[in-house]
Order: sequence, then structure tokens, then C-alpha cells
Amino acid sequence: MKENNKDLSPINRQEVLERIGGDEGFLAELLEIYQEEFKKRYGDLEKAIKDKDFQLIAESGHSLKGASANLSLPGLREASWQMEMAGKNQDLEGARKALQALKKEYQRLQKFLQSGG
Amino acid sequence: MVQKRKLTEIEEKEEKKERLQRNLGPILVAEDDPVARKLLEKKLKEWGYEVHKAENGQEAWKILTRTELRIAILDWMMPGLEGPELCQRLRKFSKPHYTYLILLTARDTSYDIIQGLEAGADDYMTKPINLLELKARLQTAQRIIELEDNLIKAQKKLSKLATTDSLTRAWNRRTIFSFIQEELNRYKREGRPFGLLMADADNFKEVNDMYGHQAGDSVLKQLVNLIKNNLRNYDRVGRYGGDELLLLLPGSNIYNTGLIASRLLDRVRNTKFRVSPRTSIALTLSIGGTAADYLLQPQTENLIRTVDRALYLAKNLGRDRLILFGDSANMDSEEKVHERK
Repeated sequence: MKENNKDLSPINRQEVLERIGGDEGFLAELLEIYQEEFKKRYGDLEKAIKDKDFQLIAESGHSLKGASANLSLPGLREASWQMEMAGKNQDLEGARKALQALKKEYQRLQKFLQSGG
Repeated sequence: MVQKRKLTEIEEKEEKKERLQRNLGPILVAEDDPVARKLLEKKLKEWGYEVHKAENGQEAWKILTRTELRIAILDWMMPGLEGPELCQRLRKFSKPHYTYLILLTARDTSYDIIQGLEAGADDYMTKPINLLELKARLQTAQRIIELEDNLIKAQKKLSKLATTDSLTRAWNRRTIFSFIQEELNRYKREGRPFGLLMADADNFKEVNDMYGHQAGDSVLKQLVNLIKNNLRNYDRVGRYGGDELLLLLPGSNIYNTGLIASRLLDRVRNTKFRVSPRTSIALTLSIGGTAADYLLQPQTENLIRTVDRALYLAKNLGRDRLILFGDSANMDSEEKVHERK
């Protein structure tokens, strides 16, 4: 799955633009909101993993999954889903792996956006 | 030509639809994901809604319970109260109008749609949200709300028809009787007195004979309006039959009942009633009255009998007057019955 994502664009622009009516400026605005939300959730997740707070892990994963899906970010969505599952299964190792995947996917998105998408 | 006309008709319809869609009233978006919240807010505003936002269940609940809020989009998973729980709570909460609830669920979670609908949701949508689909579903919501509003309007109209007299707009006989019963119950419970008057226009038959029944109906309407305007707003005017009216005066003892009745006699005496665009006539009233505190054991039956006999005497003594009766009127008549035997 991860191997595949590397070849794909971190954002499916066409899909998300279709959904929001083709407004590029609005997409940029939504991506900014997403990045702020991501940083906040990422901080929560780091702490939750340290505290072994599996409920918070699942909740934060679920919420990030929704936000990622709304913006058609397949890699981030997949990593968020793994996080949610790890929380539900009380799988600490899985949560740690998912956190790394999230970080990687997020950096990939940022690089992509900085290079002009 | 025909086609052209059809086209403009369609255009007009579309325009009307769009006008309707603007100013659609408030809608709640309860969603903890800021991306979805922003997305929904922008689109809903574009479509003409006034958007209220909530980030968690508690915030959502506060807004949901507002009367003017009729449509809500609720995320299933939220901190605090979750979507289905909010639906359940709202359905138990009595609001004057129906609130249409749409639940949002993630596509890959196996939340039971049935569970959501059983909790009281009207509709559900999966995320990521397809805005075209949302727009269509909101139109359904709007339609349901309009149907409900029309139903309530129709119910109100029906209830008005069933309780009032169509000519005079006074309460009909059955309804004024139930008001009397209510006042009787209150009198027995709290000792609050009330007065009852039976009023009848004098020589009303002559109005009908001379100016026609339409003029008679019109005079009766004018009379009811005049009486209503000279009573307190919590007094009740009902039509007992023909041109006989029952006036219920909550809180009035026999003394106040007498004062109110005398004032009515006076007002009617000094009013001209229109029977045609150019003709007005004078009219007088006869009134029989009593009050709950004037009877030993007030009941609807003996109250009506008492005012009826008082009215009869007022007529016999020459009309345009008030007669107040208490228990003695009834005892009197019972004695008469005995005498006859």
C-alpha cells in the first residue's frame, strides 16, 4: 500500500475540485485549515501514544481520516485509518507505525504543495 | 412561439425556485473536523442558509433546541455527545416544530444505518460529502418542513372552524359550554368567581323582516364585535342559538358582572347598526345574568337555567334591561312545579 502511494500524488486534485465546485482559492484555504488541524492532532497523538490513551488515539485517527477524505488525500487517509484501527485494537506498536506513516505522508504533501502542486 | 413560451415558463420556475432557496433560514452544522465544517459552511451560505456551527455534541445540543432551527447536519462521531444520541434526545425534547436531522457517517465504518435512523435521524450521508447530493437532500428536507408547516396551519384552521360560529366568529355552543365548565372547576378549586350573562337583541325579528336576513346577519356580527370590544380580552363570547349570546366573565363576582352588563346595555343603546350602506338602526339588548358566587351549588345546567330565566323576565318587564338572578329563581320555579302538581 505504501509502495503504491509513493507513485501517486498525495492529493487527488481533480476529485476534490469536482467536489467543491472547481474553486482553487477555496481549496487552498481548506488545505491551510487542514494543515493546522493536522499539527494539532499530531501533537495529541504523540501524547496519547505516550500515555497509552487508546480512546484518544482512535478518536484523533478517526477525525483526521475524515478531514483527509474530504480533501482527497489518499496517503494521509490510509495512515489515519491505520491509527484509528490501532487505537481500537489497543495496538501500541501499530499506533507508533501509523504515526510515522502520518509524518511521512504529511511531509510528502507539504513538499508537493510547495512545489506548486 | 409555443416553445419559446414554454422556455420562459421554465426559466420563471427556476428563478422562483432559486428565490425560495435564498433566505432558507438557519441550519446547524455539527462536525468536529474543521475542514468539513468550513466546506459545509461555505456551500450552505452560497445556497442561502444561515449557518450555525458546533464543534462538539454539547454545543450542538444548545443550538438544536432553538425553536427557529429546523435543519441540522450532525456528524456521527463527535466529542461529548455523538450524532445518534443527539437525535434521540431531540426526539424526546418537545419543540413546537419538527427539526429535520441528517447524520454523517464515514464510508468505511460499519456504523449501522438502521441504528442511526432508529435514533430519530431523517436521513444519512456518507463522508466525504458529495455536495450535489447534499443539495438534493436538503431540498427534500425543505419539502418535508413545508409539508409539516402546512399541516399545522390546516390543523389550526380546522380547530378554529370546529370551535367558532362561522357567522359571528363567536365561540360555538359546545365550546362556550366547555369554557364554562373550566371556570366552574377553577371556582371549586381556587374559589375564583365568574359571571355569566345571556344577552339577546330586542326585536331582532323585526330587523330581519324589514331589512332582510343578510342585514340581520350583519347586525348580529356588528353586535358581537361591539360586545367583544367592550369586554376584557379574557372574557368569552359564545353563540347560544339564534341571536342569543352567552358571555363568560372570569374573575367577576355578581357585583362586577352587573357593572359589566350595565355598561354593555349602555354601549348598545348608543350605537348605530348598519343595515345597508345608507341606513343605520338603533338597537337595544336584554340581559339575564348570574355569577358562580350567587348560586349555592353552581353547575353548568343551573347557571344556564338561571340566566335564561333572568333574560325571560328582562324581556317581559319591557326589554332594554338587565336582570340578575340567584338561587331564588330556581327555587321559585321548583315551587311552581310543585304548585302545578
